[in-house]
Amino acid sequence: MRRLAPLALVLVGACGDGKTDSVQVGFRGTAMEQGYDRGDLKAKFATVNIPAPPPPAGESPPGPLPWKNVQVLNDISVAEFNRTMIAMSTWVAGTGNCAYCHNLANMASDTLPSGAPIYTKLVARRMLQMTRQINGQYQQHVANTGVTCYTCHVGKPLPSGLWFYNKQTDYLRHYLDRDGARVITQSVAPTPENRSSVKQTEWTYALMISQSKSLGVNCTYCHNSRQFASWREAPPARVKAYHGIMMLRDVNQNYLSPLQPVYPAVRLGPMGDAPKAQCLTCHNGAYKPLYGAQMTKDFPALWGRPDWNGVPFPGLGLPADSAAAATDSTVTPAPSAMPRPSSGSAGSN
Amino acid sequence: MLEYQNLFTRVQIRTVPDPGIPIDESTGQRYGTGFFNSLAGKFGDAQIGPIYLGWAGILSLIFGFIAFEIIGLNMWRSVGWDPVEFVRQLPWLALEPPPPQYGLRLPPLDQGGWYLMAGFFLTLSIFLWWIRVYRRARALQMGTHLPWAFASAIFLYLTFFIQPLLVGSWSEMVPFGLFPHLDWTSAFSIRYGNLYYNPFHALSIAFLYGSAVLFAMHGATILAVARMGGQNEIEQITDRGTAAERSMLFWRWCMGFNATMESIHRWAWWFAVLTTFTGGIGILLTGTVVDNWYLWGVKHGLVSSYPDQNVIAPDQKDFLRGRYQGTTPDSFPTYVVPQPAMMPDSAAMMTDSLSADSLATDSLRTDSTAAAKPAAATTTPPGGNTP
Repeated sequence: MRRLAPLALVLVGACGDGKTDSVQVGFRGTAMEQGYDRGDLKAKFATVNIPAPPPPAGESPPGPLPWKNVQVLNDISVAEFNRTMIAMSTWVAGTGNCAYCHNLANMASDTLPSGAPIYTKLVARRMLQMTRQINGQYQQHVANTGVTCYTCHVGKPLPSGLWFYNKQTDYLRHYLDRDGARVITQSVAPTPENRSSVKQTEWTYALMISQSKSLGVNCTYCHNSRQFASWREAPPARVKAYHGIMMLRDVNQNYLSPLQPVYPAVRLGPMGDAPKAQCLTCHNGAYKPLYGAQMTKDFPALWGRPDWNGVPFPGLGLPADSAAAATDSTVTPAPSAMPRPSSGSAGSN
Repeated sequence: MLEYQNLFTRVQIRTVPDPGIPIDESTGQRYGTGFFNSLAGKFGDAQIGPIYLGWAGILSLIFGFIAFEIIGLNMWRSVGWDPVEFVRQLPWLALEPPPPQYGLRLPPLDQGGWYLMAGFFLTLSIFLWWIRVYRRARALQMGTHLPWAFASAIFLYLTFFIQPLLVGSWSEMVPFGLFPHLDWTSAFSIRYGNLYYNPFHALSIAFLYGSAVLFAMHGATILAVARMGGQNEIEQITDRGTAAERSMLFWRWCMGFNATMESIHRWAWWFAVLTTFTGGIGILLTGTVVDNWYLWGVKHGLVSSYPDQNVIAPDQKDFLRGRYQGTTPDSFPTYVVPQPAMMPDSAAMMTDSLSADSLATDSLRTDSTAAAKPAAATTTPPGGNTP
């Protein structure tokens, strides 16, 4: 019997504990699998607390707002505006803490009574523009789930995974101002076009591992590891991830980095740069942020369009002419100032 | 209790240590007179020493020590000379080759200069040790199988320095460090499109695994016939005894063919030598003749084809292809902090813009298909547009 003990160990090991799901994500026999630990997932789900949205604004067509200095949320009704402000305070500043961003004596002002600028308000305004840009231009990444302030902030003024320049975060600069992360030549023989070093390969590797950790997935979530470069053999999730990299580049280049002069010194990095985002900032270790909870559908102000997933927001009356324009396919979209990630289906979902 | 019983494990001879045959000691002499250690006798010969170093051995140790010190002190410096951190992080510490932008130019000491120096001294030390191995073999009037087998291993070691010279950059050399050199291996394989499709890598693995199989077969065979005097292997080569006959009969019964007492050692020698030799050829072809071994495999029918896993629209292809990190010899990025990016409207945002009631036309009311139109969108990435 004692001689059989090692054999029993092998059998137990092969059967596993029965709590892990192995999901095939590629062609059979290619080891394209994702392992999901049920207990681990359950614990992670439990950490996600979606704040209940404030009651809907009701029938309230957008009209001229009675306030001055409203630069972004000027296309919604008064009720919707107030509702969004209250939600934002819950998501970012702590409930009812209007003073986190506002001069309570003069809510419209961008400065304190002392004359000092309220950097949180300036940042929040830019973040609202960013949120609309993400929801409007990067549907190939955020789909109809979209993002709200809560997606990244999850109730905290500072989201996770903010990064600054230093030697250790060098690989994250792909999210800002680096050329492509590609290192594998697309031909058999060496070409002068690709002079990528093995060291640069390690930076791409580091970048990929940071994404893997940010999403709680392994390499085969997006790649067939027999040829990392091949799109044909990769799961479709890789295309989504690629649009995410483009999105982060836009977000970091055009929204986060340029806020550098607005921040007080305490918010800047050791080299004086503004905090920047990476995959972890929104994903927080989940393959979908907040495990796919859809919050944007309750906030037309953040969605930036009058309908969500083809369904008009309740109570959001539209002037007749613009409703017609919305369905008229011949209307050319206003030229976007942003370089669009793809001329394809952005915004058409 | 089971115990392996054999003439050599049961009996350890204690006598005057054997100094070995007389040799020409003009280039160096044996140190010590030798002593016995019973624990050593459990694993091999109980006699330790005398040892011969000679000029090659002494110089090899000196240069090897220099290389070891350069590597170790640089690692220690990288953690701010903190002895605790040095021990804690040792597996991850490295002495890295020069960054890519130096190409084959001479870098400063702390930008890989120390690395080149350590590599030079280490190589010198290995060459001198080879000379020592060769000269000791000749001094004992042995064949030179050992130095040539060692030379095959040195050849593989050298290709890791020659290949970077062929592709024109110090940076491609292997870092000195425990995990860093393993990371390099992984990155090297990814960079060149998966080294598993390199046929010389495949040959090298075949010879490596073959070496292990041959080693196991031979070791097991000799131990199994030890009770018939099989451990006297060398005598049995020229004067077959029952051990040799039985062991050869065993393999003939098992697989119809057997190596001989002599040829099994040639099998083992060639497998071991070819492991490193074919591996070295595979390294030299990588990045010089073939840049993507997977595509090479596709071209030559080595790669099995699977159905598409991803439908890529033609207009997506160019977008998804992305750009290379390194595109020209000088495009290797250096670590330069970009200028603080300025938001075009941040100056306006800094001022109290109460009077400026210029509300941009909104997206909701006029044009929903345009999606969100940021009021202050920029046309060019500010500041951060370095290549």
